[in-house]
Order: sequence, then structure tokens, then C-alpha cells
Amino acid sequence: MKLHCFQRTFFHSSPSLSPIQLPAPMETHLWYIKPSEVKSESLLKEYLDILSPCERKNVLQMGGEELRKSALLARALVRTTIARYQINSEINPRSLKFRKNIHGKPEVEWQYSDDWHPPPLHFNISHTSSLVACGVTINSQIGIDVEEKHRNIKHNILSFARRYFSEHEVQFLATISDPQVQRMEFIKLWTLKEAYVKALGKGFSGAPFKTFTIRSKSVPEEDFNKLEGLSPKASEIVVDSFDNPTVLTSNWRFLLLELANSHYAAICTEKHGASEGDRNVPVKLTVWKTIPLLEDECVSGTDAVKTICAAEFS
Amino acid sequence: MASFTASSLSLSNVSCSLKQNQASSLRKASLSFSGKGLPSHRLPALRFRVACAAKKDTVNKVVEIVKKQLALPEDREVNGESKFATLGADSLDTVEIVMGLEEEFGIAVEEESAQSITTVQEAADLIEKLLEKK
Repeated sequence: MKLHCFQRTFFHSSPSLSPIQLPAPMETHLWYIKPSEVKSESLLKEYLDILSPCERKNVLQMGGEELRKSALLARALVRTTIARYQINSEINPRSLKFRKNIHGKPEVEWQYSDDWHPPPLHFNISHTSSLVACGVTINSQIGIDVEEKHRNIKHNILSFARRYFSEHEVQFLATISDPQVQRMEFIKLWTLKEAYVKALGKGFSGAPFKTFTIRSKSVPEEDFNKLEGLSPKASEIVVDSFDNPTVLTSNWRFLLLELANSHYAAICTEKHGASEGDRNVPVKLTVWKTIPLLEDECVSGTDAVKTICAAEFS
Repeated sequence: MASFTASSLSLSNVSCSLKQNQASSLRKASLSFSGKGLPSHRLPALRFRVACAAKKDTVNKVVEIVKKQLALPEDREVNGESKFATLGADSLDTVEIVMGLEEEFGIAVEEESAQSITTVQEAADLIEKLLEKK
């Protein structure tokens, strides 16, 4: 996996956003915030100020300070992240407009004239109370999901899986004897399935969880040389859809990460116009930990970002 | 008889959910009123009250399940109008809540319906509708 790293930058004087170049095709940018690290009340007020009146109202309606904070940071992260790319020289996060597609997936509503067309920027956010993340791509649908590694599942894992997951996935989970490992594999699978559905952009009912299987597939030996830094036991994550068995499912690429030692993050993107030979081109991923307007840190290649491939199937 | 039952259910739907401005419930109500010809003196006031009381029980059970799933303190105010998202439920919580409701009431909720539930009242309404079908 190719990783890029930019210089660590700090902005302490006046709050500002460091501009950044749009990701290349087949490249993904991931930005995340840890709410516990955002302590300044004045900074939170600045974030509230960049939101639209509607977003502000939704944030303030959340029940409890922790929920309000992560809702606020989610909106602030989306706005500031997109503003960094300075599309059409627009650098003000406050001026961005959003709308939902026909299925409810949020997208940017670009204000443009006849002689300017916006770049095909795609984004998706996910948040828990302890981490908020935003993924950005060019020209490729994207879905992301983050969950706490040690999240408590109220139901029996296998009962839940039997109700909502596919048969293959239930069998996979059933073979795991250690309950802690089983729970963690469940959470990984959940984030992957969520990320896929979010990338499709059709909502939970557009691709019911039972109608597709996400699993680990060994990478064929002849492709080993093309994949940098992967051991011979390399595997990739793939999706099989029962509704669309042929074309569509080979169009999706998955990445599963452990972020900040505390969360699993799944990223699902389209393999655009990929030919057979391109199928195993490594994913370019760059990850920043950020406190928007204050501090950005590129964490690709550090301990904060660990790539996981789905557990190997026996 | 079937249409009478449907009308009275819709009536209670309208009454209990009016505050939330549910367009779907209002639509239901107008459908049942048009051409069904219920004489006004037969409007089921008593039945209406009974239907509403049943909803309260259902709502309370939903509240209990939601509070348990989201680990909310006992004294936290949760009622029919409470939105799952505002209470802090993410997608996994919502699915767990739906599963909890299925177990509690012995019903099966389709994905489309599960996705449309955003408040406690909506969950209670859906449960009543599914129980009615059984």
C-alpha cells in the first residue's frame, strides 16, 4: 500500500485551514478528529459559527453534551475538509451548501455557472462519540464507517448475525471460539457492510445486509509482485451480492484499518474503469488527524493507522 | 368490519401522532374517511381511548428497550416524540433496538420499515401495525 506523508503543520496564530490538493483518481483521503482532544470552548464556538442555521439547530437538539460535541465536530469536519481543497477558489467552509440525493445520501450542492463545472468530489462521514471521520475521493463513490474496537453488543453475536448477516458470514463468525475475538470480527464485518451500503448510497434498505456477503479472498500468487509490502499470505476483502451476482460487486474496493488504536474504520470505494490488470493496483490512502483551524497531522505510516485485512478463512 | 377496524386504528394514529406532523398518518386518516361512510354517532370514542391506551403501553415498552440499548440513565426523559438520533443511537444501535423490539413483541420488521423508524412513537406505531396483521 502506497502511503504519502506531508509535513506536520501547526497553525497557532489565526485560525486557518491549510490548503491541500485534491486526491488523485484511485486515491483516498481520510481526515479524523478525536473529540476528546478538542477542549477549547472558543474553538467549538468557531465551529458552530461555520455551520448552516439548519445544522446548528440539529446539533443543539442532540441530547447531551457529548452527543452535541460529536455532532458539531462531524459537520465542522465535513465543511472544513472540503474547503481545504479550495475548489473554484472557494475557501470559506461556511459558504458550502449540501443536499441529499434521492436516497438520502448527503452531497455537496455546488454553486456554479455555465463555464465552470465542479470536480467530481465525493465524501462520506461517520462518527462515534470518540472519533469523527471524513473520507474524500475524486470520481469514485465512497462509504466509510468507524466503530469503537471494544464496542459492546447487547445481543448474542450469532443471534444478531443470523438475523441480519448472510449465511456465509454467520458461518465465519460461528467458527470463532473466543468470544472477544468473535465480537471484534463482528464489529469489523459490521463496519465493512456499513461502508459498502453507504458507498452504494441507497440506504440500509437499498442493500439489505442479508443480501450480500463480505469476505476475505486470497490474492492469486501471480499478483504478488505487483503488491508492495504484502506478505505471501495476502488477502483482499471482497463482496458477493446475491441480487447483482455478476458485474457490480467486482467494482468495489475495501480497506479495513485500525485507527488511533481505538477504532476500526472501513472504507469502500469504487474501482473506476478498472480493467482486469488494474484490479490489484494498491490503494493510495493518506490519513490526517486534525483539529480543524488549529492543527493537522499526517498520520499515514504511523502507529495511528494500521491496515488490517479481514481475518483469514481456513 | 375490517374497514371499521382499520378506520379506528387510523383515527387513533392521527390523534396520537398529530403533534409530530406525520404526513403519512394524516394521509392514512383521509383515506379512511373518504367514502367509508361511518355515521358520526358511531365514531368509536371509547374504542379510540382503548386504542390510545394500548399505544401508551407499547410506547413504554419501546422506551424501556431504547433506554437499555443506549444505556441511558433511568431518570432521562424519553417519550414518544424522542428521536433515536437525538438520543445518540447510531445505525448499529437502531438495528439492535429493532431486534429488541422483534424479540419483545414477537414480530418481524422488514429493512424498509426499520429504516423509516426515527422516533419512539414511530416504532410503537409500526409494532401495533405488525401486531394487527398477526
